[in-house]
Parts: sequence; structure tokens; C-alpha cells
Amino acid sequence: MASRKAAQKSMSLAPVLDLNEATALRDKLMALKGSDLTIDASAVERVGTLCAQVLMAGAKTWEADKRNYTFAKASEPFVKTMQLIGVDIEHLLAKETQQ
Amino acid sequence: MDMNEIKEIFFQECEEQLAELESGLLKMNDGDRDPETVNAVFRAVHSIKGGAGAFGLDDLVSFAHVFETTLDCVRSNKLEPNQDVLKVMLKSADVLADLSNAARDGGSVDEARSRQLIRELEALANGEMPAASEPPVAKAAPAPKASAPAPAAPAPAVPATSEDGFQPIPFSFDDFDGEERPVEPYVPTCEVLFVPKRDLYAKGNEATLLLRDLSRLGEMSIRCDMDKLPLLQDMNPEEAYFSWKISIATDKGEDGVRTVFEFAEWDCDLEVRTIEDEPEAVAGDDEQPMQPVPFDLSILDDASDVPAEDEPAVFEQPVAPAAAVEVASNVVKLAEVPKVEARAALAASPAASQAAANAAASTAAAPTIRVDLDRVDRLINLVGELVINQAMLSQSVIENDNNGVSSINMGLEELQQLTREIQDSVMAIRAQPVKPVFQRMSRIVREIADATGKSVRLITEGENTEVDKTVIDKLAEPLTHMIRNAVDHGLESPEKREAAGKNPEGTVRLTAKHRSGRIVIELADDGGGINREKVRQKAIDNDLIAADANLSDEEIDNLIFHAGFSTADKISDISGRGVGMDVVKRSIQALGGRITISSKPGQGSVFTMSLPLTLAVLDGMVVTVAGQTLVVPLTAIVETLQPEASAIHSFGASQRLISIRNSFCPLVDVGRILNFRGTQANPVEGVALLVESEGGGQRALMVDAIQGQRQVVIKSLEANYTHVPGIAAATILGDGRVALILDVDAVVAASRGQPLKQEMSLAATG
Amino acid sequence: MKKKVLTVDDSRTIRNMLLVTLNNAGFETIQAEDGIEGLEVLEHSNPDVIVTDINMPRLDGFGFIEGVRRNEKYRAIPILVLTTESDAEKKNRARQAGATGWIVKPFDPTKLIDAIERVTA
Repeated sequence: MASRKAAQKSMSLAPVLDLNEATALRDKLMALKGSDLTIDASAVERVGTLCAQVLMAGAKTWEADKRNYTFAKASEPFVKTMQLIGVDIEHLLAKETQQ
Repeated sequence: MDMNEIKEIFFQECEEQLAELESGLLKMNDGDRDPETVNAVFRAVHSIKGGAGAFGLDDLVSFAHVFETTLDCVRSNKLEPNQDVLKVMLKSADVLADLSNAARDGGSVDEARSRQLIRELEALANGEMPAASEPPVAKAAPAPKASAPAPAAPAPAVPATSEDGFQPIPFSFDDFDGEERPVEPYVPTCEVLFVPKRDLYAKGNEATLLLRDLSRLGEMSIRCDMDKLPLLQDMNPEEAYFSWKISIATDKGEDGVRTVFEFAEWDCDLEVRTIEDEPEAVAGDDEQPMQPVPFDLSILDDASDVPAEDEPAVFEQPVAPAAAVEVASNVVKLAEVPKVEARAALAASPAASQAAANAAASTAAAPTIRVDLDRVDRLINLVGELVINQAMLSQSVIENDNNGVSSINMGLEELQQLTREIQDSVMAIRAQPVKPVFQRMSRIVREIADATGKSVRLITEGENTEVDKTVIDKLAEPLTHMIRNAVDHGLESPEKREAAGKNPEGTVRLTAKHRSGRIVIELADDGGGINREKVRQKAIDNDLIAADANLSDEEIDNLIFHAGFSTADKISDISGRGVGMDVVKRSIQALGGRITISSKPGQGSVFTMSLPLTLAVLDGMVVTVAGQTLVVPLTAIVETLQPEASAIHSFGASQRLISIRNSFCPLVDVGRILNFRGTQANPVEGVALLVESEGGGQRALMVDAIQGQRQVVIKSLEANYTHVPGIAAATILGDGRVALILDVDAVVAASRGQPLKQEMSLAATG
Repeated sequence: MKKKVLTVDDSRTIRNMLLVTLNNAGFETIQAEDGIEGLEVLEHSNPDVIVTDINMPRLDGFGFIEGVRRNEKYRAIPILVLTTESDAEKKNRARQAGATGWIVKPFDPTKLIDAIERVTA
């Protein structure tokens, strides 16, 4: 995905992404909308479905905006849970984190 | 803490709940319709059932279950708790108590009665809710193992293949190769459609966890449907957008799959169907290519030592602990490992968890503590010794230091005051309300009312009146007998009552109150009162009084306390039992108490018992009799007087009377009665203690001199020596000598020599 | 990391059984005696899961669950209802109040631990 001239922004995800975090996460993402985004998921210990939905809605939104949306780093529980629930984030993972 | 200790806690709690239950039911019986009362009653039974179930006490559980069901009908206003209903419930409470006792001590239970009540309870429950037949009585779980729990049964599904050592190869469509699959039993495949609703997440369920548990049932492939997912700006972050289609090869069947979703089934759409085709068909089953994401279990295998040859480990970094549990559960052979580790972790820091538990406990309000009675008793004994010691110290100081150094005397006085306060405080620890005893009486009333076909209402008052536990423990037996007597003999049959214009339901009123340092317990019935003609005749027949004796009503009433006296024509099975009111009287006296009766024909009788608040100490008057030191309980003494020769009147061979304010009172020489001396002392040289004995009659006890008043610590003579007639107990005085405590009533009784006949004719001359 | 369980039950017997069972299974256990105390304890214990009885004085299980679900900070915590009420109506009420799942008493330790494992990560 070719990046344009928009600013590159980044955000880190909280360790626990549960029901309580979903709204906050959406608001954070909304604030970064329109920029290329690198998400650091390396601290994530637990991710629930609601936050997974928000993150994937983010991917969808960024795609519509034709912006980059990348997980720069991802903890194992994060990747594993996504895999478990059948959410493919392979294409969103930064090259260096892929094996 | 082990299970036996918890069981003991359970039985203690049972007792409390049973008391709660009964008092609640009695309140309801009195018309209390406060929902909280009903709830409390329900909770009590419910709680007993819950605990009993945990210990596999099946009888208790079954009965409590039926009881609870009926109570629930009351709670939900399906059943009106009228008197008939409450009668059944009160009886049920009794049976529940019996069952609980039986479970604790292995005693027996009247099974016929219990079965009968189950039927009655069920009839009550069904009477108002015809269709709702309860599910079969809850089966109690087998006694839980105190040690480590067995591996979780339903969830971490272990494929049947595991038993022959087969290690399941992670099922992955990508590298599926039928040729290389080992020969294994056919495992049916389930297809699951799982569409969560918003509420699923709001209630703390989590699709990720449900899918995790599902994955443990067998090899699964999953596809997440994200079509409903809107753009970020349009989404409600707490709405459910994802849904899933899952294929899973499991021998747990559709039920096994549904079990995973047990907690979530209301909050999701769930379709489960078994695909009958051979597994091969599953792979090609997808009409629309779903791009299934293989869920490759082997990537989770860090914790296992199973070499995953075919599957290079995707992640090398260590998994988070939570993940480790999840991981290993997927691995057949290691399913139990994480739990063991978890326990090991606990063992490593038991102190921490204990501290946490303590911290939690300390947040609870703790208005009471539980102390072994033994410890309190020991303390009371020690304080008793302290009192004695203090008295001895005072005495020796006074004897050895006649000049009286005032500071020492003041110090001693303060010590005495302090000792007294400590004693009162310590005694207060063991003081308990009479409530439990009173509550037991309501059961007695129900039983005897049933047996006699009488309708009886027991009213209790002052049940929070406190008295030493030692007194309470000994109160139940005489009270039981008196209650039986009141219902059996006191109250008339409903027909008779109605004929007399009374409420066919009789009333028995049990009250307790404190009065001048004693507890007074009154038992009043609104029955026919004492039949004085009958009592009098019986007394004459039994040679207790002369045929022509002129007795006051009060004197006649008190005849019922004489040994062997029973007004019932036949000894009934209920109150008779071969014991009469004389036994009651003796046991009350043994407690240092007195009992009297007053009766009004047609209106009922009142028994009044006055008891000391404690059996540990006594306020006494220390007297000298024939060189011996005796203690006379202060409560028995009305007044003391110095007899003048002119007031003494001889009567007959050995009887003497003293005239006090124009009335005559028999004079009793204590020294003679106790055989301290052979002949009577000269009254003028001694002191007369006017005592009130049973039935209110007065006697003047002659002693040689009064030493003073003192609180003494009671030491049982029976426990240390043997029973001595006329002596209630012993004590140790300040100078270290043992002094006997006089049993006033016994002395008075003995003074009658040839008992009532003579006495009554004396009264006539007086 | 040990999972923290808050149990709310008015029965001393059950509280002790829960304590022993949960501690044996490697959980950290915090206990409260009724719904009111449960809500108080919740404020400073932040448990991973709550196990609560239904029939309790002062504040019953339904009220307690509603209280937790209304709490901004703790509403996400899974709550298991521990009760002898096996009938659908009670379960339903608990569920409507916001219960995550339930354990039917008499609880057997395995089932209890299993249910906790099911609703916690």
C-alpha cells in the first residue's frame, strides 16, 4: 500500500482490551483518522471480541481512506486470539513481525 | 481448614438457621406478612439445603428441597400462609432440625413423620400451582474431595483417540492429506453457526473464550463473518458485529458443542448440526469458498514436549501464563499439567492468599467473635479464685495490721471494687438470652397440642433476657415439663373452652424478666386453673394433709409440688411420665431458684420461677452455727432479727414459734436440723433469719451469730464431694476455710419433721 | 499470575467451601457476605471473576449483579451465579440482571473451577 504524504502516526494498545476499552479504543482511532497509522500491539495480554471489532473496523475505515494501517508489533496473545476467532490480520502485520 | 471443619461450621450454621427459621415462622404465625420475614425463612431453609448438598446429606437435602419449594410458593404469593399452612411448616421445621441433628450425631429420625410432612408440603405447593410439578429432588453431589479437584470434566474435551496414545495431528485444511492420516475412529463433524448479540458481551461473556472452549472439543476450522462490521465512525463499539461459522470434528456431538455455549445461548443465535458425511466431505463442503483460517493448535504448543515435527513453531517467545493454560488444554497428554502448576504456584505463596483472605474478612463488620466455652469457663473459674484470693488478702491485712494503714486499706477497697467489676464483666461473657430455650418450647407446645388434640398458642416475651449459660442449659428440662403440664392439665379441651365462652384456642404465655438481680420466668396458661377440690381430696387420700385441715387457696395450690402428687386421674403419656411437679421444683431449687404457683379458677394458672443469674457466684450472709461457718443465700432472707424472750412461744414437744408483728412464725434451729448439736439452742442467744421458703411461707432460721455479708464463689459439693442434705454447695472464705452454703428450702422442709398435717394445724392455731 | 475471585455468599459453610476449593485450585480468593459488602469489596479488589449467591440478606444476588453491571469500572467482570435455584426462572432473572453464567449447587469443585475457567481468559 503506497503511502502518500499524510503524516505517519502511531498508537499503542493497552494490555487489556475488554468491554471497557472498546469505546476508548474507537475514540483513539477516530482521532487518528486520515493519517497512516502504525499500531503497537506488543503489550496486549488479552483482547476481547469488541476491541477486535473496533480494530478491524479501523482497518476497514483506513482502507476506505486509502491510508496505511499496520500492526508494527504484536504480542503473541494478540495474534493468537485473532487467529483463534478467525480474524485474518496477516496482511496487516508489518513485514518484520511476520515469520 | 479441611472438609470436616467446614462440616462442623455447617452444623453450627444449621443451628442458627433453624432458630432463624422457627422465629420467622412464628412471626408469620402471628400475622407478620413482611416480605423480609418470608425471605429470611426461605433463606434459612435454602442455606441448609445448599450446605447439606455439599456434604452429600441426602435426607436433609430432599426434605429441605420440598420445604423450600413450598416456601417459595408463599414467597411468590401463590400460597397464603394461613395458620394451617404454618402449622405444617412449623412441624417441618422440627423435622428439619431432627434431620440436621441426625446428620450430625447419627441420631434417628421419625421417617414416617418426615414422609408425611413431605406429602403435606407437596400438597400445599401443588394446591396452588397445579401444573408446576417440581423437578426431581436434587441429588446431592458425592462428597467433594478435599484435595485437588479432578481435571475439569466437560470442557477440555479429550478425543477418544487419546487413550491409545494417539497424538492428534492438528487438523489443517491447508495441508490436509488423507493418505497420511493414521487410521483413527471416525469422528463426526459438527457445523456451528454462532451469531452473538450485544447482550452477550454486556453480560461478561466473551466470544473469544467460547471459541477457545469450542476449539478444545476437537479440530476446528473457523470463519469469521465481518460483513456487518461498519466503518469506525458508524460503529457502536459495544455492539456485536462479528459472527462465526465453524466446522469441528468432535466426538462430543451437538450436545457437547451446545454445552460450550450454555451460558451464552440466550444472547446469541446458535445453530449446530452434524454433518453425516465422511470427514473428506467436510473439506469440500464449503459451497462458497470461505477462505477458512486454519486454527493451528500446534502453534500453541510451547508448554508441551510433544515434538511438533510437521509444524514449525510459529512463535518462539514465551506465552503469557493465561495462554499457557489454554495451550496445554489442547494437548491431550498434558491436559492436567497447567492445573498442577497452578496449584504449585499456590503452594508457593499460601501466605499471600491467606493474607488476602484475611484482608477480605477484615472488611466485614465483626460484631461478635466465637470463643470456645471452655476458655470462658476457665476464665470464670480463675476470676472466682481471684475473688477468693482478694478476700483472703483483705482479711489477713485486717488481722495483721490493726492500726490500719489507710493507704493499704484504700488500695484493698479499690482492689475489691475492681475484682467485682472484672467478675461481673466475665460473667456477662457467658450470659445468653433465654431465646433458644424459649424457642425450643414452641416445638414442645406444638407436639403436645398435636398429641392432645388441643389448639394452643404460645406467646413468648422477654426472650432476650440474659442469664448465665449454665442456668440456661438447666432450664430446658423443667420448663419442658411445665409446658407439657400446662397444655395437658392446664388447658381445657376446645369444646370445654367454647362451652365456657373462651377462645377454643388456648394460650400459654412464657415470659422472662430481670428482677432484683434474679431472672424471673413466668409460665401462664388461660386454662381452668387448679381444681382445688380435686387437689385437696388427692392430698387427703395420699395422707399429705388431714381431712379437716384448713388450708388457704394458696396452700392448696402449692400442694401440687409435693412428691408423688399428680392430679391427672390417669398418668397420661404426655405430662405424666412418672414425674410430677415435685421434680420440677427440685430441679429449680437445684439451680438456687424458687417456684410458686397462683391460680384462678376458670382463668388459669401462673407458675413463677425466680432463678439466680448465675450459678458461679452468690451473695450470701455468712453466719455461725454451732462453731461452723455457713453461708445463707441473701435472696432467701427477708430480714434478720434478735429474738426477745417474750416473743418466743413453745408449742408441743419441740416446736417453737416466734411472734413477729402480731403473726407467728415457726422457729427453726439450723444447728439442730443439720445435726451440729443434739439439743436446741436458746433462741435469745442467737439471731433469727426470717426466710421466705417455697409457697411464700415464712420461717425464722435460728443461727448463733452473723459474721457479715459477702459475695462467695460457689463450688459444687456434688462435683467435689457428695450431696449433703440441707446443703446446696460450698465456698471458700477469705480466711481460706471452706464454708457450706445452706439450702434454705431443704432445711425448712426438714424442719417440718412430720410434715404438713402438723404444720397446717399449727397454721390454724396461729 | 493468579486469578482473583470474589465470592459473595451469606452462608459461612459455603464461604468456607469456596475458599478451600478456590485456594486449592490456585485462585486468590476474596469474600463478601452479602450484596452490599460485595459491592464495597469490589471497589478495592478488582477481581477477574465474581461468584455470587442469589438469596442473601440486605442485597440479594440479582441486585448485586445489577450493581456490578452499572459500575463503569467493573461492569466487564464475568459473574457466575452460585445457587441451588436450578429452575429456568431464577436463571433467567439472574441472566437478565447481567449474570455471565451459573453453577448449580450443590457445587462440585470441578464444576466450579470449570465454570470459572470458561468465563475467564
